[in-house]
Amino acid sequence: MKKSIHVILMIFVFFLFFGWAGPLDSFGDVGQKVPEKTQRNKSVFHSSYYLKKATTYEKNDELQLALFFLKIAASLNPEDMEVVGKISDLKLAIDKKSNNYFKKGERFYIQKKLDGARKQFLTALRYNPDHKDALDYLKNRLIPKEYITYTFKKNDSLKIISNKFYKDPELVFLIVYFNNFKSDTEPGPGEILTIPILEPGFNQNFGDRRQDMISAQNLLGEERFQEVIVITKKILKNDPLNKEAIKLKNEAFYQIGIQLTRQEKYFEALDTFKKITPEYDGVNGVIQQAIQQGLLKAENLLKEKKYEASIEFAEKILSYDPSNTAAKKLISTSLCQQGKNLLIRKKYDEALHVIDKTDPADDCAEKIRLAVKETIKQQAEAHYIQGVKHFLNEELQSAIKEWEKALKLNPEHNKAKKNIEKARSLLEKLKKVK
Amino acid sequence: MFETANIKKTILINIFPLFFLLLASCSLKGLISHNTHQAHVSDDFVIVKSTAQDTFSSLAAHYLKDPDKGWQIAEFNRMTTLIPGQELIIPLSPFNKGGLKAEGYQTVPVLVYHNFSKKRSDKTAVGQDDFEAQMKYLKQNGYHVVSIDQLLDFIDYKEQLPEKSIVITFDDAWRSIFDVALPILIKYGFTATFFIYTDFIGGGKAMTWKQIETLSKIGFDIQCQTKTHRNLAVPKKNESFKEYFESIEMEIGYPKNLLKEKLNIDCKFLAYPYGETNNLVIALLKKHGYRAAFTIDRKPNPFFIDKYRIYRSVIYGSYNMDKFKDNLSVFQKNELK
Repeated sequence: MKKSIHVILMIFVFFLFFGWAGPLDSFGDVGQKVPEKTQRNKSVFHSSYYLKKATTYEKNDELQLALFFLKIAASLNPEDMEVVGKISDLKLAIDKKSNNYFKKGERFYIQKKLDGARKQFLTALRYNPDHKDALDYLKNRLIPKEYITYTFKKNDSLKIISNKFYKDPELVFLIVYFNNFKSDTEPGPGEILTIPILEPGFNQNFGDRRQDMISAQNLLGEERFQEVIVITKKILKNDPLNKEAIKLKNEAFYQIGIQLTRQEKYFEALDTFKKITPEYDGVNGVIQQAIQQGLLKAENLLKEKKYEASIEFAEKILSYDPSNTAAKKLISTSLCQQGKNLLIRKKYDEALHVIDKTDPADDCAEKIRLAVKETIKQQAEAHYIQGVKHFLNEELQSAIKEWEKALKLNPEHNKAKKNIEKARSLLEKLKKVK
Repeated sequence: MFETANIKKTILINIFPLFFLLLASCSLKGLISHNTHQAHVSDDFVIVKSTAQDTFSSLAAHYLKDPDKGWQIAEFNRMTTLIPGQELIIPLSPFNKGGLKAEGYQTVPVLVYHNFSKKRSDKTAVGQDDFEAQMKYLKQNGYHVVSIDQLLDFIDYKEQLPEKSIVITFDDAWRSIFDVALPILIKYGFTATFFIYTDFIGGGKAMTWKQIETLSKIGFDIQCQTKTHRNLAVPKKNESFKEYFESIEMEIGYPKNLLKEKLNIDCKFLAYPYGETNNLVIALLKKHGYRAAFTIDRKPNPFFIDKYRIYRSVIYGSYNMDKFKDNLSVFQKNELK
């Protein structure tokens, strides 16, 4: 009796306070607690809001997001069959769009336009993130393979296969290694082998390279530099970081450059030196030497009054050494000399045009400008005086002509201006008297 | 009388503990009430109205079972801050695995550092202050430093990464990494991968095995960079093809076994010395069970990158902040429509 009262009281009081759900709510796994789906019926969320969002995303061509939001709307209002229809339509549209891009990608792939193909596959995947074929192209077919598979045939041997794929029957060990064979066993017909693919010519280069290197060294000793360059280029094509080949190639170019400098072919020498790696010992020294000698030649041309040739030479030097102040100075001096010559030949406009190209820091330009100005002034004065002479001899027309020449040369020659007016006035009066 | 007294006693004995139980239950309910959202749950998403107590991280912990995935909620809802009462969609699975958008696609930069200096930077060694400034920049500008495992899940099109994701790696195992870079990484809570070439370990300027073990124990990722740091793509002078093959096979296999043996670490990734590789090296990596390998081509990585030629950008000591920022591109424009 006592026991049953205990039990009844316990149960009564327990459910009085907690109800059925209480204990579960209070002691359930807090971290794992997820709101019940049954809340849907009294949901505070409105499907219309998500429908609107879906429409916006669809308009913006974000079809996956549009689909996602349609699904939300459908979940909030499962009775709305219109939304279900929209979902189905959108899925079809997505499939169609992504498949079109995929097919386009395949066409590019066949034409070996790999960048174009990749772009189409990515677009297909953007529309349909589960497009397995597009993903397969992006992740497998567009990425270079290191292996191929080969089915062993009746008359095959590993040596034959090695020769077939590597043009070397001695690389059997490679096939043995990658197929986990024992060294003395041959596979049987029909067995599928994994054959690693090497870069073209990679293995063939090993035997030849040593011989090539020896040849290049010997040729360098014989001063057959062009041949050294041919051989080292061949070595470096397959082994771009081969230090010895780089050194030999640099030395060959260095020696050719020195020869060209001696022949006063400074620019060819500079072109050759530029082919040497900048870190190569002594290269900067010989480049500077060729530039200095080139400058000397340009100075000599200036002394010989071959101004244009001197300028051309100095400009070439600047193309190799843009900050070379001596070359800049040389150009400016040559231009000044050209300006002076033109001034002497009374080609004032040309003289001014040439000296405009000189270095502004060079005061020769200003001197020439002043000289041109002074000469013009003097010439204007000479015409003015000549005009006065004609005037005194009562040759009014000739006087006007001279003063006009003076005015043309010096528009600010006020006396010439006034005298022209006077002479014309006199001419008028004389006409009237006659 | 006796019965009545007994019943009273029974009631008292039973009711008091139950009252306590009730009070405890009420207090528990109060504690968890902030986690009870107005929510709508589906198989693919949850819609919630956020409360004042919520953060993206707390919502992610609650609904995605991973507080580190707060970014997934923020990015899906295109929000940076949470306003109480706001309606949020929580996608229950990745919503854009490849980071594809109409304007282009996501890229993930992988940075690689080598040596460090406590004083000023020089050409190769990054100075302590410069490294601190670079990490601070990443933190303050919302970059998520992710692990190589996470990067590989992104590359494998399995998982989505935050839009501004970046990977930090260190090559060679210089001791200065431990002394200079490690405290800064810890300060900012950044993860990183250390690629080590095993012959270097214990040498004058290198980390010791004990230090490598410490790195691993505190949660950093230790991976392989060959045995001797030879250039795997370039045969040595006078080396026959067979000698070359045997040498690179050893370079790839030996450190993997050594790391397993010494520290019980599985070497899944390899950084190519000098960043160079070829088909044979990649074939060997696959044969030895490496999952991916890293070059030093200065580009960020899209999800469709070749896993055995993943790009990395070397950060030199001579880099100023602008040059550092040039290596943080997280999006490649390329119209995908």
